Amino acid sequence: MARIQARDASALSELYDNYNRLLFGLILSILKKREEAEDTLQEVFTQIWEKAEQFDLERGTVYTWIVSLTRNKSIDRLRSKVYKEQKKQSTSLDNEDVFYPLYSDETDPLEQTILTDRAKIVRDALDKISDKQRKVLQVAYFNGMTQSEISEEYDIPLGTVKTRMRDGMMKLRELLAKDIEL
Amino acid sequence: MSTDNKTFTELCTGHVLNALSKSEEERFQQLLADASKEQLAVFQDLKAVSAEMATLAPAEKPSLAVKEKIMKMATDVSKQKRKAPVHQMSWYRMAVAASFIFIFTSLGLLFYSQSLQDDMLSQSRKIADQQVTIEVLETEVQRKNELLTILEARDVDLVMMDGMAEMSPNGYGKVVWDKQGGRALLQVAGIPTVPTDKDYQLWFIVNGQPISAGVFAVDDPQRDNFFKIEQLQSDADEGAFAITMEPKGGMPQPTGDMYLLGNM
Repeated sequence: MARIQARDASALSELYDNYNRLLFGLILSILKKREEAEDTLQEVFTQIWEKAEQFDLERGTVYTWIVSLTRNKSIDRLRSKVYKEQKKQSTSLDNEDVFYPLYSDETDPLEQTILTDRAKIVRDALDKISDKQRKVLQVAYFNGMTQSEISEEYDIPLGTVKTRMRDGMMKLRELLAKDIEL
Repeated sequence: MSTDNKTFTELCTGHVLNALSKSEEERFQQLLADASKEQLAVFQDLKAVSAEMATLAPAEKPSLAVKEKIMKMATDVSKQKRKAPVHQMSWYRMAVAASFIFIFTSLGLLFYSQSLQDDMLSQSRKIADQQVTIEVLETEVQRKNELLTILEARDVDLVMMDGMAEMSPNGYGKVVWDKQGGRALLQVAGIPTVPTDKDYQLWFIVNGQPISAGVFAVDDPQRDNFFKIEQLQSDADEGAFAITMEPKGGMPQPTGDMYLLGNM
């Protein structure tokens, strides 16, 4: 990131090579459309290049900053006027398709060795929280839905959504503390 | 967990998952501004947990065009950054720069204007001098033409004058007299320059009586000086011409020293 802050374009190229598949997969899981996802990925790296000086290591790792930036961009686009006009995908919490990303084995182990290991740790941690907590987190994370939208869409009281979400995340924090850099 | 911490954690969770409503997000930002050290640690941890969940997304390969566009953007932005001092000048720097440009331009124009004025003045003086020279030359040409008219007369008397030993030993004079026209041409050389309060006076002496034929001055004794004598009427076939130095304007009778003398 220091090289990117020093306007080294080759460093941006390396960062892209390392993270483009992960980030594009994340964006695609939220937006569902390749063209929109590619535009968003381009916006993300444009912002990384232009706003690199805003990155502060004391406030988190490069990885956390980039993923946070990617989710923010994806969800901003998802909640834009154009997207809101589209009919929301009707689904149920019992429909396993919603959780497709969490249980996909399509990641290439050769390309994503480290990320795959980390994914396994996260998946194991998710397996240790309750189904209800896990499902609320999954919908929020990969479908970009707000707590209110989840409550309305799946007919769950808003307070319950908030509680499940909080308890699930705090449990994950506890479970992941010893395995990842928190 | 206290109520405050519980509220903070709940909002914090919603924040890191981008799942809060607008009003809840504003509320969280207020709490974050006054967050304790422990709350800030929870916030950092939950951000990291949220980021780790991204590893579960299926890796998908974007088209090659995406990277090409990104790298082109990076190159273009870098080029613009290099030009930044020009584009990113603040308004007051631009104002100062504009002021300096205005001042230097004004001074330049002032100096140029002054120089142009001096040049025009110099040219005007030169033109005036040349006009004077032209007038002098025209006068000279006119005078020469008049002298030529005398020389063109078919019947003229030529009288040679010699310098007097004491006053002008190298003096020389010649009178070309057109008796019919009543005018004459006087040519003198080798006589001293006339003082400002004096004039030379030409006399025609006939029967011992001097008749004034006019006054003239000589300012360059080294060269031949020509004068036109307007009125010199006489039928005399004998006589003499003499030149004396007299008070300015001439005298009725010769009073000064004689410089040239010659008989007909």
